[in-house]
Amino acid sequence: MKEKTKYIIISIVSLISFILLWDLVSKSGIISAKKLPAPSKLFETFIYKLGNKNPDGNTLPIHIWTSLKEALIGFFFGIVIGVPLGISMAWFKKFDKFFSPLFDLIKPIPPVGWVPIMITFFGIGIMSKVSVIFIASFIPAVINSYSGIKQTREVHKWVSQTFGASNRQVLFTIAIPSAGPMIFTGARVALNGSWVSLVAAELIASTKGLGYMIQTARLVGRIDVVFVGVLVIGVFGAAMMEGLSFLERKLVKGGRRS
Amino acid sequence: MINKTFTKDMRETWMYGILGFLVFLLVWQAACVFTNFGKIFPTPKVSLAAFLQAFVEPIGRHTLLGHISISLRRVLIGYTLSSITGIIIGLLMGYSKLAHAIIYPIFCIIRPIPGIAWIPLAILWIGIGEPTIHFIIFMGGFSQMVMNTMDGAQHVDTELVGVAKVLGAKENQIFRKIVLPSSIPYIFTGLQTSLSTSWMAVLAAEMITAREGAGWLIIAGMQTGRIENNVIGMIAIGLVGLILATLLRNAERRLCRWTVRSR
Amino acid sequence: MPNEKVVVQNLTKSYGDLLVLDDISFSVKESEFFVIVGPTGCGKTTFLNSLTKIIDINNGSILLDGEAVDPRKQNLAYILQEYSALPWLNVEQNIAYGLKIKGYEKSVIEERVEEAIKMVNLENYRHYYPSELSASMLQRVVIARAFATKPDLLLMDEPYGQLDLNLKYKLEDELLSLWQQTGTTVIFITHNIEEAVYLSDRILVMTNKPTKVKTELINDLPRPRNVASRQFVELRNEVTDLIKWW
Repeated sequence: MKEKTKYIIISIVSLISFILLWDLVSKSGIISAKKLPAPSKLFETFIYKLGNKNPDGNTLPIHIWTSLKEALIGFFFGIVIGVPLGISMAWFKKFDKFFSPLFDLIKPIPPVGWVPIMITFFGIGIMSKVSVIFIASFIPAVINSYSGIKQTREVHKWVSQTFGASNRQVLFTIAIPSAGPMIFTGARVALNGSWVSLVAAELIASTKGLGYMIQTARLVGRIDVVFVGVLVIGVFGAAMMEGLSFLERKLVKGGRRS
Repeated sequence: MINKTFTKDMRETWMYGILGFLVFLLVWQAACVFTNFGKIFPTPKVSLAAFLQAFVEPIGRHTLLGHISISLRRVLIGYTLSSITGIIIGLLMGYSKLAHAIIYPIFCIIRPIPGIAWIPLAILWIGIGEPTIHFIIFMGGFSQMVMNTMDGAQHVDTELVGVAKVLGAKENQIFRKIVLPSSIPYIFTGLQTSLSTSWMAVLAAEMITAREGAGWLIIAGMQTGRIENNVIGMIAIGLVGLILATLLRNAERRLCRWTVRSR
Repeated sequence: MPNEKVVVQNLTKSYGDLLVLDDISFSVKESEFFVIVGPTGCGKTTFLNSLTKIIDINNGSILLDGEAVDPRKQNLAYILQEYSALPWLNVEQNIAYGLKIKGYEKSVIEERVEEAIKMVNLENYRHYYPSELSASMLQRVVIARAFATKPDLLLMDEPYGQLDLNLKYKLEDELLSLWQQTGTTVIFITHNIEEAVYLSDRILVMTNKPTKVKTELINDLPRPRNVASRQFVELRNEVTDLIKWW
């Protein structure tokens, strides 16, 4: 216990000295504030951006809201379509044989690669972003629910069959619950991928959102706004992951098995 | 008997696979012919022809292979750097509690930031050019590399370490003979995921700041309205992604035969 | 034959050219504790899986109460060698699982689960998940799940193979007492001869590859049995000799 407190104190000291060092380096001009704004300056910018539309046309909360909305809509559809498809592919052989080769074809294309095509189809509005994020979350959702179902233990199926379970009952009472942890792993990969591709899509072409904000700030040379944007992207990415972990603890019982 | 059912299954696999592919091509073709889709999107035949032609005829400054090899070289540099630093920092944090206490809180600030989000900062810091792209790829793979390696070094069998200590092993022997080998499967997982994010990062970086490479190819296809270039680029990107993933998986099988974890 | 609960006739199963079960015939009486012994890897699991229709047989018939066996119509329960408690359900839900599959009403399920949970002394663990239970508790959960459905036929495939000796003896005695209370017909498979002699009313000895019936022995030693008694040792040796001579 004592040992643990010691390390916690070291951590806090480390973090504080990191920030102080950063502040010192920036304020003393060792690295110009144009390259590395001081933490205090970033905080000011953050407060300023909360209510101010400069330099990119929208306040920070609007950018955050836009990005979150796009990411979560795409993610939602990716999961809602991807998970059942993965489960069906794993459970019904013919389904598997029909879809697997097609799926293998699109699987190795990074979601970012879809950005230009989607923009060509849907313009730079919300649809192009949502469809890129859909692909980013759809693929891991399919892969993980597929392998989750495939990893169902034979003995569990036997128990169920011996009690007289129908094929459907085996699927719903054995295979799907036992794939639960894997499905959530897929969701975590999917969420991460969604957020990354969203930022990429917004950097490349959009009119709102966190990616757009940092890109515009870069063009007008406001490095403080870029910094704030990058940090906010990190914080919201981490927060969404936490939310998902919370959901998993609520939904998946009996601990992680894989 | 066994052989017969086996071949029947194989035959079905091929049949359904080809059927699925044909349906896909048919839908693509039909969409081009019967809907507005065809006004912006090339038919399968045109796409294939363009794909083959791109091997000999340059698009922009290079042929398709030229663009791909440029992207691959960038990935190789950024990925190698991020893997080496990632493994070192990961091992350090996983093995030494002190190092963990010092580095981890700072690392936690960087970790959730996607590699791609560093693009604007990197441009402001370094300017437009190769080092910026390398940096972005570096940031793309770095966190995953650190996390996986750290995970591996922390999951070392404590009994094994105990036994080694009883037998009089020195700190650095324990590290080299126990901690390092048992982290290797985790390191390989890290290498695999970080390679695929690196591949993604190079595309994004090239879309935004480069004048050549696979990412430039597809964005230029969009900007000039030559969608077939876009399609070609995607096919090539997918193929390269597939080859990279397969190569690493085989390397893992070969190098850690004692513990290839099922995935 | 009025008293026959299970009748197996000419059961044959092969995988391709590989003959696994070769023309097996035997019958089991109502409420009998029927033990099948044979060397490890002699196709015992294949045999049980064919009884439960998990795999299809090539030839022969299996009758339960005079009808072709069918888990969807009849009441079977299967206890396996591996821990088969479902990790995503707690103790109560695990025990209720078979009843739910069979579509019992909620009140019946609750009542039966309560009964079964008491039978195996897990009242204090009803909300625990399998990952939080010891090996012997897990085996009790599985037994309670089987008995809760009041099976016509209980199949057991080396259920205590992985437990240490103390625990094994204890669980064997618990099983015997449950069996005596409920009068369930049991087919129990093991490679452990002492276990076979300790538990059985009758022993079926099988040979290896392909699996055939070697012989059948009646075991009428008085219960509770003493593993050190002369008769017990004699019978055990007799079975041992039979298995040696495959």
